[in-house]
Amino acid sequence: MASRTRGWLAIAAIVAAGLVLTLVIEERYHHRVLTLVFLWAAMGLAWNIISGYAGQISFGHQVFFGIGAYVTVLLVVKAGLTPWIGMGLAVAVAVLAAVLIGLPTFRLGGIYFGLATLAYPLIFRIVMDWLGYQEVAVPMIRDRPAWFMQFSEPRSFDLLALGVLAATLVLSRVIETSRLGYRLRAVKENEQAAEAMGVDAFRSKMAAYVLSAAPAAVVGAVYIHAILFIVTPDAVFGLLVISQTLVVSLVGGIGTLWGPLIGAAVMVPVSEVLDSTVGDRLPGIQGVVYGGALMLIMIYAPEGLYWRARQLIRSRAGRGAVATRAAIAPPLDDAVASAPTGSVLLEVRGVSKAFIGLQALSDVSFEVREREILGVIGPNGAGKTTLFNVLNGFLLPDAGQVRLRGEAVTGLRPSALCRRGLGRTFQVVRTFPHLSVLENVMVGAFVRERAVGRARGIADAALAQVGLGDRGEDVPSGLTTLELRLMELARCLATAPRLVLLDEPLAGLSSDGVDVMIAMIRRVRAGGVTVVIIEHTMQALLRLADRLIVLDQGRRLAEGAPGEVTRNPVVIEAYLGKRWLARMRAPTC
Amino acid sequence: MLTVAGLGVTYDGLRALAGVSLEVGEGEFVTLVGPNGAGKTTLLKAISGTVAAAEGRVAYKGRDLARMRASERASLGIAHVPEGRRVFATLSVMENLELGSYRRAARAHRAQALDTVLELFPLLKARRAQLAGTLSGGEQQMLALGRGLMAQPDLLLLDEPSQGLGPRIVEQIFETIDRIRRERRLTILLVEQRVVEALELCDRGYVLETGRVVLDGPRDALLADARVQRAYLGG
Repeated sequence: MASRTRGWLAIAAIVAAGLVLTLVIEERYHHRVLTLVFLWAAMGLAWNIISGYAGQISFGHQVFFGIGAYVTVLLVVKAGLTPWIGMGLAVAVAVLAAVLIGLPTFRLGGIYFGLATLAYPLIFRIVMDWLGYQEVAVPMIRDRPAWFMQFSEPRSFDLLALGVLAATLVLSRVIETSRLGYRLRAVKENEQAAEAMGVDAFRSKMAAYVLSAAPAAVVGAVYIHAILFIVTPDAVFGLLVISQTLVVSLVGGIGTLWGPLIGAAVMVPVSEVLDSTVGDRLPGIQGVVYGGALMLIMIYAPEGLYWRARQLIRSRAGRGAVATRAAIAPPLDDAVASAPTGSVLLEVRGVSKAFIGLQALSDVSFEVREREILGVIGPNGAGKTTLFNVLNGFLLPDAGQVRLRGEAVTGLRPSALCRRGLGRTFQVVRTFPHLSVLENVMVGAFVRERAVGRARGIADAALAQVGLGDRGEDVPSGLTTLELRLMELARCLATAPRLVLLDEPLAGLSSDGVDVMIAMIRRVRAGGVTVVIIEHTMQALLRLADRLIVLDQGRRLAEGAPGEVTRNPVVIEAYLGKRWLARMRAPTC
Repeated sequence: MLTVAGLGVTYDGLRALAGVSLEVGEGEFVTLVGPNGAGKTTLLKAISGTVAAAEGRVAYKGRDLARMRASERASLGIAHVPEGRRVFATLSVMENLELGSYRRAARAHRAQALDTVLELFPLLKARRAQLAGTLSGGEQQMLALGRGLMAQPDLLLLDEPSQGLGPRIVEQIFETIDRIRRERRLTILLVEQRVVEALELCDRGYVLETGRVVLDGPRDALLADARVQRAYLGG
């Protein structure tokens, strides 16, 4: 709670400091620099929403800046409409453009999204040239200058720009602390895991894109009236706009609202001062000095000034305190005999899936009953994980059908399946590495809960349930293999699933870790959740599973009670091996 | 051949290893066991140089490794086969293996090493043009092991080669490790969760718990030790 108020107070303090500067500064040129700082900080913040929070690097963000500028000025020129209203329309156009750009472009992942965004400003430049808008000047309107955003007093522009910055800061802060903010960070860190935890990645990215287009358009509109006065395709859709945006954001640090603010406060004055000092004597040299400063910062603080400073403060505070961690004791084995009820929860019918040159699954059918623990075994490469990927919607089967509680769910996105009660964990634990353990679990809790506070409560409870109640503030990299697997289980449980798919939850665990995990899985089932588990640790699986199905080369090889399956000669031949059998028959077991 | 003395490693204020000392003699097979979070993987990483030691000494063939980067240690003949089959997924099986013999001393004998590895893992031979990312888990583990051998190392560090593998493949992997060691007189330091199988293979073993060595001794003594039996063998 304290940190929440502190964030808002810090924003209030920044705005107050901006106000003081506005009032104190006398010289006209200094006012111009101040306006530029505010506007570039706001532009960096806008870019940061899609690229920093959501991790979708947009190299074409000036497209919204340009739309803001052109739409506002053209409305003044053609319709005599005040920019105060025109700006609102410009935002609407920018939002529409963001949706139209996002629809095809978010189909591209990773760097390809960024590359594709490069194209849109180029298109707009050409279109503007073609429409004959190579140069549109803001017409001087003498009778009602304030109504047309034409102030003679430079303080007014400072205040206007500060207002834009304050609004963007508030927007960023609201996003950061909302469900959307957590979801965006989850998508940025691991899109697949986020989808599996019920986050509709496409919709989240689209929301971020729209929210980052709107302030960019406002900045563009104000920039034209405060600084440029003449709109040209090159000035607003050109590379200078995006490079300035990138500079302030990257220097300050992305993924936090303080980054672009710091970046703009440092880099804009530096560039202006260079222009007016060394640039006067040796024209061109200011670019070299500016570039040099930029390189130094990138070498010594590649993650940005904000993160670098934070890291220094943290490591100073953390030095000396060497913590040791408490071991996790297995929970009391409250394996209430909760026999399968017999009604079918999940039905898999004739599922096939081929990759290039490889039939991963062929005609696999089986049923999962309520409250049972079903083990899926088979040699490596038998198609077990592919099966899970089909079941939770990562892969679309070539043929066949999956029904969850009678409803055909084939072809639904993982996030939609998660909302219907299907959770999963991964063979190699997929964390959101820069989120705390608690925040990782909260991402799962947001499936059922919109409010951040209550989601935190659910996540706390889920962590306590797996015995990680006191590790919520740690980062995943500080966790052991067992703790990571427990965290992933907690994240999955926080989605309140009816059925969980566990992909090798015992891999990499020592024998005491295996005991903890087995007790935990039993407890999950005792709580009414059905479990399907892929596992190679046969001794453990025999203690756990009610039923086994065996896959080999994509086909169902056998199915039945564990004792029966492990005696099946075909299964021994394909998977278990003869020596395993000998070991099992040894007197100790 | 390898001497570790008083080694300590700390991650972000969290102590992973404290005062660990162990020795591996030339041609010896040493197994390291212990629960999750004991620091086994960290110890291997500190030896191969992928994490920095906060205190203590690692010496290999009498040379102090403290100031050497991971790549320099590799060029001295230390091969680390990390946990979780870190193969180069977008390269072919052949390319993965060839990268294994990148170190200068190994490059000259690449063809010969390749023959040995492919003979050891006939499965890899059949799939040599395939991309490593499309191999099954067991095949990827074999590839990781094969890539380690391509460096023609003197010291092989193996981190949980059996993780996530089916029982039959696990048997094969352990048999292969045993064979490599018998035929090539390699020095091996193995970290494993399958305590029985791993201890049965070795000459000597160490038990690591919460960052410290709590027990060590020859194979039979460890297998017979009451504490080991209780903690790891379910006896």
